[in-house]
Amino acid sequence: MDTILQGIVNGTLIGSIYGLAALGLTLIFGVIKVINFAHGSCLMVGMYAAYWAVKLLGIHPYLAMVIVVPALFFFGYLMQDIVIKPVLKAQSDVREPTEVIIVTTGVWYILDNVTLMIFGAEYRVIQTSISGKIFELGDLIISKPKFYGFIATIVVSLALVWFLKYTKMGKSIRAASLDREAASLMGINQYRVYNIAFGIGTAIMGVVGCALIPFYYVFPTVGVIFDVKCFIIVVLGGLGSIPGALIGGVIVGLIESMGAQFMTSTWTELIVYVVFLAVLFVKPAGLFGSKLDW
Amino acid sequence: MTRDTLDRTLKILAVLTVFTLPLWVTNPSYLQILILLFWYAYLTTSWNLVGGWAGVLPLGHSAYIGIGAYTSTILAVNYGISPWFGMIAGGVIAAIVGVIIGVPTLKLRGAYFALSTMAFGEGLRVFVENTDRLGSCVLNGPRGICIPLSNSFWNFQFMDKAPYYYIILIMLAIALFITWHMSRIRIGYYLNAGGEEPEAAQALGVNVAKYKVIAMAISCFMTALAGTFYAQLALYFYPKAILGLDLSFEIAFIALIGGRGTLAGPVLGALILRPVSEFSRIYLSSVLPGLHLVIYGLILILVMIFQPRGIQEPLTRFYKWFLDKVTVSRG
Repeated sequence: MDTILQGIVNGTLIGSIYGLAALGLTLIFGVIKVINFAHGSCLMVGMYAAYWAVKLLGIHPYLAMVIVVPALFFFGYLMQDIVIKPVLKAQSDVREPTEVIIVTTGVWYILDNVTLMIFGAEYRVIQTSISGKIFELGDLIISKPKFYGFIATIVVSLALVWFLKYTKMGKSIRAASLDREAASLMGINQYRVYNIAFGIGTAIMGVVGCALIPFYYVFPTVGVIFDVKCFIIVVLGGLGSIPGALIGGVIVGLIESMGAQFMTSTWTELIVYVVFLAVLFVKPAGLFGSKLDW
Repeated sequence: MTRDTLDRTLKILAVLTVFTLPLWVTNPSYLQILILLFWYAYLTTSWNLVGGWAGVLPLGHSAYIGIGAYTSTILAVNYGISPWFGMIAGGVIAAIVGVIIGVPTLKLRGAYFALSTMAFGEGLRVFVENTDRLGSCVLNGPRGICIPLSNSFWNFQFMDKAPYYYIILIMLAIALFITWHMSRIRIGYYLNAGGEEPEAAQALGVNVAKYKVIAMAISCFMTALAGTFYAQLALYFYPKAILGLDLSFEIAFIALIGGRGTLAGPVLGALILRPVSEFSRIYLSSVLPGLHLVIYGLILILVMIFQPRGIQEPLTRFYKWFLDKVTVSRG
């Protein structure tokens, strides 16, 4: 019984961090209707940024967010503005521009391999003041960095929902995601909205990077692991849906941690794919997918 | 010489060159490079049926290569069935799987289809890598399968490379013929319409999803044949080589850089991209690991920004300009 409870707790905590990573992806898709294949690479950039901030400045990994998150916002903003916008403009009459997906894949290759060229292929770990720290709650053991990651997920999601609901920019983002022509007729500069949305989606990866750094390795292709996870999560939850991303993340986290108690971890990976395909057959647009996608 | 005769002469010359190549390329390793080049061209042409004409983005086609390779090899090793029949069996299984994946996802936005095919491909790789035996069949997990040597036509094994070269060439020719034929019959028009404007096509009474599923089935069938071919050519394969993201992505990239939805695009894409990636990998990865993939990524981005319809467009334009130039200056 205890191990099951432990599994649920661990799965929910790590799953919420997956969900946070998927949140950025789903936000970008919701607005631009493009899957950002460089999303995992943005996380990799975030993790390296956090790693070097902690290593060089000697600050607490969560304090590093003050530097890393704005840096990644501008990184995403510029990436959209310089690389993706020209293709998006050329394809503005296409509903789902495939070319843009390919461009983001090109960005993925470049980011991962430039990192490989600069920092080498080695796995880097950093010892922070909260690495390996735990809470004990009766018999339950809760990892502190994962728990704080869970808190970060809740804070960021609530902030994002507030931002989208109540600020002018948030309303513009929602308008552009519903109908980009109508939104631009209402005086919304759609490309500025895309830049901001892309920036926010990438900035979230900065938060995830800082949350992961106390207990996860950093290496040039770390993004690929999260890429595939995020893709599964957003399709499970429904593309473009914020609660879908979070719940999809928790589902994947729970499968991984519960499965790990009965079988080897590679088989739990397989179960994730099986559940994913099963959901696809029962409810193709995902758990929270919009009816418009049918 | 008129423009048409010059055009025809050049095309006949090109076909003759391609068919007589093994007569003067006697070095087996060069021939091997050519065989793999055509193998990629064939795969991309198959991919193009659904990825190009149907306007969606399949990112898990390596799964069907794997299905083809494993099906024919298991049938040959365990039951002594000739790989020629195993090839067809693999194709049929791949087509069925493709339909199962396509039916729920091809009705949705393209992103669902792209991500689902990708997840299926990865799922299959994880499954094969973790399975040593499936019932009485040996899969050997990540170590892969060796095909016992027995050179004969019946066993789809040959001493030298030339027969493989002609087999893949004929397969490519058939794939190109199917593509050409499909673009001229109803299904081709339906697919094109459905890819560009699904709502408009549907409003005109075209069952877009149905034709996309048909295209998917044909494409998966053809892709699986390439899997059997690879298994028989290499006589040894393992999951990392024929399953997984890298190969799936490479097929899609060749098509997109060459020009998706066109007849010549996949072949031109393979002709240009394969040597570039091979040579840059060989010569640059020892200097600075990763540089060749940076170059690859840059090519992808630049082609998508400046030639979104692929390099077949400027090349075709250049060919026409060349024909005009030559014939005008003569006449």
